[in-house]
Amino acid sequence: MIQLEHVTKRYGSKTIIHDISFDVKKGEIVGFLGPNGAGKTTTMRMIAGFTTASTGSVRVAGYDMATENNEAAKKIGYLPEQPPLYDVLDVSSYLRFVARAKGINSARIASELDRVMQACRLETVTTKEIYKLSKGFRQRVGLAQALLGDPDVLLLDEPTAGLDPGQIQETREVIRNVGKEHAVLLSTHILPEVTLICQRIAIINHGRILAVGSPQSLQRAAEETSSVVAEASGEENKIHHALNGVDGITSISIKPLAARPGMLGIECQVNADEHIEARIARAIIQSGELHKLERRQPTLENIFLRYIGHTGTDTSITEPVGVAS
Amino acid sequence: MNALTGLRAVYFKEILTYFRSPIAYFVIAVFLLGTGFFFTYNIFLSGVGTMDQTFQNMGILTIVLVPVLTMRLFSGEYTGRTMELLVTLPLQNWQIVLGKYFGAVSMLFMMTATSCINLIPLYLYGNPQTPNILAGYIGFLLLGMSCIAIGQLFSALTENQIVAALITIPVLLMFWFVGHLQSLQSSILLRDLFSHMSFALHYSDFIQGLLRSEAIIFFLGVSAIALTINSSYLQWRR
Repeated sequence: MIQLEHVTKRYGSKTIIHDISFDVKKGEIVGFLGPNGAGKTTTMRMIAGFTTASTGSVRVAGYDMATENNEAAKKIGYLPEQPPLYDVLDVSSYLRFVARAKGINSARIASELDRVMQACRLETVTTKEIYKLSKGFRQRVGLAQALLGDPDVLLLDEPTAGLDPGQIQETREVIRNVGKEHAVLLSTHILPEVTLICQRIAIINHGRILAVGSPQSLQRAAEETSSVVAEASGEENKIHHALNGVDGITSISIKPLAARPGMLGIECQVNADEHIEARIARAIIQSGELHKLERRQPTLENIFLRYIGHTGTDTSITEPVGVAS
Repeated sequence: MNALTGLRAVYFKEILTYFRSPIAYFVIAVFLLGTGFFFTYNIFLSGVGTMDQTFQNMGILTIVLVPVLTMRLFSGEYTGRTMELLVTLPLQNWQIVLGKYFGAVSMLFMMTATSCINLIPLYLYGNPQTPNILAGYIGFLLLGMSCIAIGQLFSALTENQIVAALITIPVLLMFWFVGHLQSLQSSILLRDLFSHMSFALHYSDFIQGLLRSEAIIFFLGVSAIALTINSSYLQWRR
């Protein structure tokens, strides 16, 4: 449904997007993962038809966005990074305007409004002016607007930004349901979000797609970069020696903690082994006193570093589709 | 999809937006106060039973008030980040431009209709010349429509509503007063050019009770040119 081929976007002499290619098929939710300023929003805008690509082709539902964007627009539901709301209008007037502009048959508009307001839990605020709404509600009005008319392609730029945990859960449920029959592309800089609801993930940084892969391969990559952090007391050399004998540790660093005298901070880079914490704990107990031990959740930065370091060389974690340099 | 559906959607949104914000009420109130004052002054204090002078004053008043109506049309969409929605909806540029234009023109018609209350005492106690008054009102609406098209264009060119209004007012005043430069020119070519460009001179035809096709075409043409540039500008921005 969405196809990008060798797309480049330049503003003046500055290149924002470098030759990216990927696609999203029907019935698929693809996550677009990258730090702020990586080019996610620009790419979304090109697919939505807000800006045009400098070179390369963007096709949505078979239409070329450069020439047939008006035809394609009927198939697209788009939630920009900042929900595009008219503050002085009330929620139902706003949604009615979007429904009319999307060309929805006037006989069907009332039921369409009911459907999206129910899906986004807006029933309690239908007559409220938008400027009175909280950030979470504004975000959901934006999502409701994108869902109107049941578009084949849904583009969601950071759909869960500004929502509380309960609302995030509900929004994910809405997206998952939509994703069963439609093509969904959602962007985020939150790692767990993509691993939970996306079938495929494209990682973007500095305007380049570093990898396209499944959540599992991303998870694997994440674990390979994870670390175990511990606090212990005892002799530094002894502990170091004991940890040296543990399988699966790739590097060890032990430093006295400035904030807590007598305490050592231990950080071990580890590979993907489920029982590694237990083995590290045992090693420390045998050589000193263990006070605290935890596995660091893999951070987006770690994964990026890994991908940046390995792009093009390590194909085991990236699927062959659409790997761009 | 019917081509008018999108235009109607934008139109109704604009009308609703006008009445949900204080702008419409403010503009109508100032316009009524102004016309009421001019009417009372010109007719009762000077004792002349025609609308000529009042129409002149209404013209100037419109030139100052129209930019207040039009300044938010596009600038508001830029700053509210809603342009991203308008452009990505299945709307053509001309539908957006015309929907907004007709929205503002409807406000102008409403303003004008409410000011007709001034005519009641004129018809009760005077002997007014209905054709002149009708022609004057037609001219006033055409003048206002041209001003709206120009104001809307300048609103599309800047993200700041105040800047949009502050550019529109002098431009409209220039179009109004350019006819007065005639007497300062010795070149026949320039004199002709200035008189053809002048809002005030074309408008005065209507006030005198003349419906000249040249004047009608002039005002409609100015609107059409401004709206076309507006629409092409939106296309270029993409």
